[in-house]
Amino acid sequence: MINIKGLSKSYNNNEVLKEINMKFSRGCVSGIVGENGAGKTTLFKCIAGLESYTGEVLSDIQPLKNHLGLLLTDPFFFSKITGKEYIRLLCNARNKRNINIDQKNIFDLPLNQYASTYSTGMKKKLAITAILLQENEYFILDEPFNGVDIQSNIVLTEIILKLKDLDKIIIISSHIFSTLSDTCDEIHLLKKGEQVKSVQKIDFKTLEQEMKEITIGNRVEKLKLK
Amino acid sequence: MKDYFKLQLVMTNRKIKEVGLNPILGCLLALILFVALSEYVFHRTEFAKYLIILVCFSFQFKLSENRRTDFLLSTFGDKSKNKIRVLENSIVCIPFLSILIYKNLFFEAIILFLCSITIALFSFRTALNFTIPTPFSKNPFEFSTGFRKTFFIFPLAYALTTIAINVDNFNLGIFSILLISITTFSYYSKPEEEYYVWVHADTTKSFLKKKIINATKNYILLTIPILISLLIFYPIKFDLIFLFLLIGILFLWSIVLAKYSAFPDEINLSEGFIIAFTLLFPPLILVVVPYLYTKSINNLKLIFNDKY
Repeated sequence: MINIKGLSKSYNNNEVLKEINMKFSRGCVSGIVGENGAGKTTLFKCIAGLESYTGEVLSDIQPLKNHLGLLLTDPFFFSKITGKEYIRLLCNARNKRNINIDQKNIFDLPLNQYASTYSTGMKKKLAITAILLQENEYFILDEPFNGVDIQSNIVLTEIILKLKDLDKIIIISSHIFSTLSDTCDEIHLLKKGEQVKSVQKIDFKTLEQEMKEITIGNRVEKLKLK
Repeated sequence: MKDYFKLQLVMTNRKIKEVGLNPILGCLLALILFVALSEYVFHRTEFAKYLIILVCFSFQFKLSENRRTDFLLSTFGDKSKNKIRVLENSIVCIPFLSILIYKNLFFEAIILFLCSITIALFSFRTALNFTIPTPFSKNPFEFSTGFRKTFFIFPLAYALTTIAINVDNFNLGIFSILLISITTFSYYSKPEEEYYVWVHADTTKSFLKKKIINATKNYILLTIPILISLLIFYPIKFDLIFLFLLIGILFLWSIVLAKYSAFPDEINLSEGFIIAFTLLFPPLILVVVPYLYTKSINNLKLIFNDKY
């Protein structure tokens, strides 16, 4: 269980997260949606302990950070580090050694090449592989589907469902609604740092429709395309 | 084009300010350092003029990097890109030209200037795509990535040791240990992204312990061919050899700890001064290491969530 109670975050006088209350249960996949700048990434960093905040983040295993696989939107890679070394670095950090990395290279990545030479999608797949091999209990995946090819997206969806079966906690953000509706049990909507709505699977269609209407509005008509 | 150079000036000033210096003072210090170093090199070796030209070229090659010149080409067009590059290389070579002219090396100065203009018209791929093997692959990342960036230093250092033994120059052998030491220190000069510290399932103490043990093991591995050679050929100087090894290790520790005491910022001026001062008076290292250790522990507490 991860329980977020009254979490707020400000940069100087700018409050970017306001009184967030969420509960994530084991064996449950939760989606976080919101426009760019809604506070999704900041919320993830607060849960991970990479940002300071007010409020509480409680978890059934302590400290949460040591059991959390965090996939950032745009993972950073050192120059001159190979894919295999990157995975090893992240596994060593969690004291997981003697892992057969080649055997677990499910995305067929060129692991002996420098990670900096990888394409955007390959970099994301590498980062995902690394946090999976860390054998975490909790996963926060910030835009895991972005830049990844269709085939790998299918694999990734299956991995998320497998993690759910294994009773892990998975929190995902995505701009592609279909990827969330395929995997999530609940979706939380953030708007300008506020938790606007929390919706269960049964109401995903309504949420999608609402989001479409709010987002599109009369923007396309404003263009007066000819 | 004018705006481009204005922007470059703003960015350079920003970098100097990040170090904690006033930009004018920073430029002045850099100039003094450059003149002093050049004088030192000219005083020490007859190959100084080649070294000056090579250092100038290395800066210019970086400016000619493929992706950079592609950006200039797509933004400013072919003609302006060439003008910008020629102007950039001319600016870079001014201090090096001045030194050569000051030393009455007019022929070399002309060659340097002409080559600088020529280099400006080409672009190069500076990054090698093939993977350089490293003995540190099992425990990334500082030594594995650092080794690949500075791999050419090690054959050079081992060759110097061989020469030292052949010409019976013990000091040259010690110099090769110092060369490896300085190279490995550079692996810890820049802080990594916060994520790469956060990701460790450790306490602050165990994290620092691991970093220090790993750095020491790898440092010894790189210096061991020199140490064994010197011990075989200069057994009576074993105390001096081990003293330099010990100093190298202690300085390595202080650099690792200085990095994490300033983390996530770069090692700042105060830590830099402490280390520089310790270089002048090495016994101080025995005080500096515990001081930086305590500072690192306090600094990293938050990121490691150390209440558990």
